[in-house]
Amino acid sequence: MNDSVNQRQAKTADVVVAADNVGMTFDGTNKVLDDVSLAIGDGEFVSIVGPSGCGKSTLLRLIAGLTKPTDGTLSVGGLLPADARRAWHPMAFVFQDATLLPWRNVIDNIQLPLELEGADLSASRTIVPESLKLIGLSETDATKYPRMLSGGMRMRVSLARALVTNPSLLLLDEPFGALDEMTRQRLNEDLLRIWTEKKWTALFVTHNVAEAVFLSQRILVMGTAPGRIIADVAVPFAYPRLPELRAEANFARLTGEVSARLREASV
Amino acid sequence: MKRLRQRLLRDILPPVGLFLFVVLSWQLATVIFRPKAYLLPSPIAVAEAARDNAGQLISAMALTASAAACGFAASLVVGTLIAFAFSQSRLVRSSCYPYAIFLQTVPIVAIAPLIIIWFDYGFQSVVVVAFIISLFPVIANVTAGLLAVDNDLVDLFRLHNASRWQMLWKLRLPNAVPYLVTGAKTASGLAVIGAIVGEFFAGYGAERFGLGYLVRQTSDQLKTAELFAAVIASTALGIGIFGAVSMAGVTILARWSGTNDE
Repeated sequence: MNDSVNQRQAKTADVVVAADNVGMTFDGTNKVLDDVSLAIGDGEFVSIVGPSGCGKSTLLRLIAGLTKPTDGTLSVGGLLPADARRAWHPMAFVFQDATLLPWRNVIDNIQLPLELEGADLSASRTIVPESLKLIGLSETDATKYPRMLSGGMRMRVSLARALVTNPSLLLLDEPFGALDEMTRQRLNEDLLRIWTEKKWTALFVTHNVAEAVFLSQRILVMGTAPGRIIADVAVPFAYPRLPELRAEANFARLTGEVSARLREASV
Repeated sequence: MKRLRQRLLRDILPPVGLFLFVVLSWQLATVIFRPKAYLLPSPIAVAEAARDNAGQLISAMALTASAAACGFAASLVVGTLIAFAFSQSRLVRSSCYPYAIFLQTVPIVAIAPLIIIWFDYGFQSVVVVAFIISLFPVIANVTAGLLAVDNDLVDLFRLHNASRWQMLWKLRLPNAVPYLVTGAKTASGLAVIGAIVGEFFAGYGAERFGLGYLVRQTSDQLKTAELFAAVIASTALGIGIFGAVSMAGVTILARWSGTNDE
């Protein structure tokens, strides 16, 4: 066991997430993932697109170690996901909803992961305002409660909370799906700006193809019944990517190509 | 100011108007039909009875209120602790919950004699009855609040390797606060009823008495005007305690989600 883990680590030094023939069957009959293999390199920004019900959220939960696959093997940083989570704290997850604690104000919400991980809270006095600023929230927002914030602001707080532990792997499960287009684009740009600066590995699940093309270096397209990876598309655009990229012909062409792939998968 | 006037017109005037109408018709009916005073005393007779026995009514109210408050406080503490135990294990929950429902369904009148056998006549027995009647809503609501946590939040806590203790203290317990407030409101009204029912069976001895005793004694003696006064005092006490707990609840909830913090 130990040997095989070490071997894999040696073999793939800069692979952060590795899945080999991963399958997931619920209740013995409901197969949601079949034979999924992937390798995500250190510092890579990879998106997963797929029709709803293709198991992309399940895949993310498996990588986070929240559930175990029924087939195949999965490793994060060379360890089983659940072990990686303990050995190597900074793995962060951004949910579809902001999932803030309504009884905590912004600053206390952002501080939560540090409290849970038992971090030195005196250090958080500088870290928390930093991540607040990084994500574009002002000092006056810091003492507000979630119910006073707009959906976009809440998602910013959620992102700041994910970034506060300085993660090396960030898992995002359709984080901007419920936001309006303008807010979504702005958050995409902010997310990229922070990624360029911090270079964590990002695995971004979405059903919005343009969003995936704008953000990532690589797009994994998933098909349904059972969920599996049907295409691995490289996105050649250089960083930093500016909002104008969305208007370029190359961008539209690639978005169209990925959409076509997705349509095949949905049939 | 304008909103206050609107509220006055919309929310306060109609019930007050209806009240005055009913009292007036009642008075009129007693004048016209002249029923025997022990069957239906006039509102004026009731008011006179209340005035003449004001000292007695107030001291009875105070005693009943303190018994109800003790029973209510006990059910808040014990109910919350039981809910903690329920939230920690499915086995504990499924084996004990049916017996918690027993608290809700047991006819208190039937077990009152048992309570007197165990706790003797006096204040403590009245508190026990108030406690038993008001316990279930606290258990049920707080248990629901501890368990009704958003799955994503549970995952978030797991992702950051939260301990069982952190899960309870930083997630489940604060999540249960609004549920506790709801349970407390129901429990407070029930505690008053419990105290009065308790007093029916277990008085406080010859010297002191509460509203329950007053209700029973005046009805035994066919002093119907005094009986009405005692019933109205009981109702007022219930409304007063319920109102106080509701207001405390509003304050707690406002702080809980930060509307007081601006």
